Amino acid sequence: MYSYCSVVFLGVFLPLTVALYQALPQKGRRVVLLAASYVFFWILSGKLLLYLLFSTLSVHHIGLWLSLLANERDAALQGVERSERKAIKQQYLHKQRMVMGFAVVLHIGILVAVKYTAFFGWNLNNLFEVLHLPLRLSTVKILAPIGISFYTLQALSYLFDVYRGSVPADRNLFRLALFLSFFPQIMEGPICRYSDTAQALWECPSVSYRSLTFGAQRILYGVMKKVVVADRLNAFIKPVFADYAQYDGGVIALAAVGYTCQLYMEFSGTMDIVIGAAEIFGIRLPENFRQPFFSKSISEFWKRWHITLGTWFRDYIFYPVTLSKPLKKLTTWGRKRLGNHFGPLLAGAVALFCVWFSNGIWHGAGWNYIFFGIYHFVLILLGNVFEPFVHKTYEKLRLRRNGAVCTGLRILKTGVLVCIGELFFRAPELGIGMKMFGRMVGSFSLSSFKSGKIFEMGMDRQDFIIVGVTVAIVFLFGVLKERGVQIRQRTAEKPTVLRWALYYALILFVIVFGAYGPGYIPVDPIYANF
Amino acid sequence: MKQKGRKIARCFVFLFGLLCMLLLLSRLFVPKNNRKEFGMQDVQANGILGEPENTIEVLVIGDSLAYSGLVPMALWEQYGIPSYVCCTKAQQLPYSASLLQQALRTQKPKVVLLEANAIYRKITGIEFLVNVSRDSLPVLNYHDRWKSLNVNDLSGRVEYTWTDDGKGYLFNKKSRPAEKKNYMVPTEETEKIAWLNERYVSYIAKLCEKNGAELMLYSTPSAKCWNYKRHNGIQELADRLSVPYLDMNLLSDEVAIDWTKDTRDYGDHMNYSGAKKVTQYLGSYLKAHYELSDCRDSERYAKWNDCLARWKRKVEK
Repeated sequence: MYSYCSVVFLGVFLPLTVALYQALPQKGRRVVLLAASYVFFWILSGKLLLYLLFSTLSVHHIGLWLSLLANERDAALQGVERSERKAIKQQYLHKQRMVMGFAVVLHIGILVAVKYTAFFGWNLNNLFEVLHLPLRLSTVKILAPIGISFYTLQALSYLFDVYRGSVPADRNLFRLALFLSFFPQIMEGPICRYSDTAQALWECPSVSYRSLTFGAQRILYGVMKKVVVADRLNAFIKPVFADYAQYDGGVIALAAVGYTCQLYMEFSGTMDIVIGAAEIFGIRLPENFRQPFFSKSISEFWKRWHITLGTWFRDYIFYPVTLSKPLKKLTTWGRKRLGNHFGPLLAGAVALFCVWFSNGIWHGAGWNYIFFGIYHFVLILLGNVFEPFVHKTYEKLRLRRNGAVCTGLRILKTGVLVCIGELFFRAPELGIGMKMFGRMVGSFSLSSFKSGKIFEMGMDRQDFIIVGVTVAIVFLFGVLKERGVQIRQRTAEKPTVLRWALYYALILFVIVFGAYGPGYIPVDPIYANF
Repeated sequence: MKQKGRKIARCFVFLFGLLCMLLLLSRLFVPKNNRKEFGMQDVQANGILGEPENTIEVLVIGDSLAYSGLVPMALWEQYGIPSYVCCTKAQQLPYSASLLQQALRTQKPKVVLLEANAIYRKITGIEFLVNVSRDSLPVLNYHDRWKSLNVNDLSGRVEYTWTDDGKGYLFNKKSRPAEKKNYMVPTEETEKIAWLNERYVSYIAKLCEKNGAELMLYSTPSAKCWNYKRHNGIQELADRLSVPYLDMNLLSDEVAIDWTKDTRDYGDHMNYSGAKKVTQYLGSYLKAHYELSDCRDSERYAKWNDCLARWKRKVEK
């Protein structure tokens, strides 16, 4: 069951959980959801379930600790002279910071230990070799539980919110455990906020006809993206990235575009399944994608792609770093010397670097991931720096920046930049990514396309056509969503015959054109490994 | 309540409609010929579909140990027994049962041989479900044929014309000696057979009985796959089901496998010379224990003799 798209999950685990959930009263449903979540995690990670248990217990305890300090502070402030209040506040703030620091070190420490020990060891050994030092570290790879990168961020977001006082500490261990382990989202997110989902999960509403059908539709849409497109593209992409030297620049460029498409279809498809599965239980999880390929800039792209990760970095890294005392001073200094546009950019750049470095390394222990983060940092920073010049250029040339042609070109430019970034992201290592990029640009040729050889590289002409058709369907749905059309609501209002015909068509489309069964190797859940 | 009932009924009607469509599509998608170019999978095992009706007397099911260790053409040449090996790589019992069921639609074998290694292949619940749904709805298995569908597929009529000269045997002459030769160390211990696996063997036994065939369990010599615990486990199962079990791993004198020459992959599978020895012994055993006719002079089997000539040319190359 190493995928939300597996027959075991969709055909056995989910229906059984839904049936059990619906058969029981509210209290029983909570038990069903929590038990199902832990069973799911145990099936995927075995005894590494202990990590989740430890995280849950420690988060619960630290949350209560923070709450206790806040209560003590409030009690200490009562009846105290105004002059003393500041000192008391500072004293408790210091204590809370210490507790929060401990929580961050503990949880990020576990994450770093299981995910990055081997990477750091390997790099230090290389450094020792370069410096001719007679030192060698043993690089042990520790088994990481599935989804640790996701539930760690979710756990920390809860603690930060308690620390800031935006949510009260949860005294109910089981509610918190359910929030951290809810099975549809534990493997690949979305990274939920306590204030959005914890109580909704705890209320355990009945499964209604609407929630069941709407959830099932969303799941079906996700399965289509994953099985028809992502899994089919795997046969072409995998060999190109495994042995790029065999292919010309044109093929590598197509593989980069193909991989970007595969990543989107796999991850957003999985999110559709996850959100659909939660919807069946009457839970609304936050969206992780909002038609990212309609973005006109890289900065906009990241507001539409993996949204919950972006907002996590924004709320818990970007804002705190920007609002820290040294950076505030830097902004003031910058404004005086560089003006109102460039001045704040200095502090912004530091915060942005922290975000993108974290983003890169969060994706994996590899220099290609760090490069991926820095690449986006540079693009976004350049976008911010040159914004006034670009604006002036549009005005001088009397071009409408939001006109159809300019918008189309900007979308195209963003798409190209994203595909280049994904090339490095998918490459086995940074060096290979560089060489692939060099070959893509330096040896660009369309000869494989002209000779038809492209159809002998894992995907034949019909495979490309079916991928194209499915991408067109997803694009069409994307256009409708951009225009604010509530597709499922609109479909639900249509006559039964029309509606059923549409559902049947979609189900049969997936069954017939899905890349499953003999001869196909489905792509592993890409984000589950991050 | 009435409203709720109506909604549940709608769900069932929807699913029933879907099932009907999948059944219709299955007729469209199932290969209309058993050649590979028509989209047929496991063509060697499915070559039996092209054999004339009621011509196979011994049918073999099992995994790669079976298709590497029994040479139907040698069985034909030496004993005149027409046999077919319906075996596939890592075959699990649900698939063995499916292939047997499929073969029994056109053939009336007197003996069905089940190579015992498949009995120890773990079947997960999901593999069981997948197999059942693929059997009932072939579109799930052959959906990829959308690329080659043509007008003839609309009729739904099948015409299987291809037969395999090796009759399901996978010819391999490579020789890689086994490291471990004394693998059958006597013990009282037994390797347990999973519940679902035992149910499947029992089902296969009933299927054979219903179709007038006798089931026999057997083990091909394999220094890597077999041991005494497994032998004991299968012997106990055979006793429970009242079917004979022949373990050639214990017959080192009679079968006389030379582990330095007769295996293609370090003792895992037999090569051609090992398979000939196994076939020779198995043939004499079958002749001695079952009423199998010598069909070599029968006109119905004239094509088998032509096939033998082609086969010999191939293996003697």
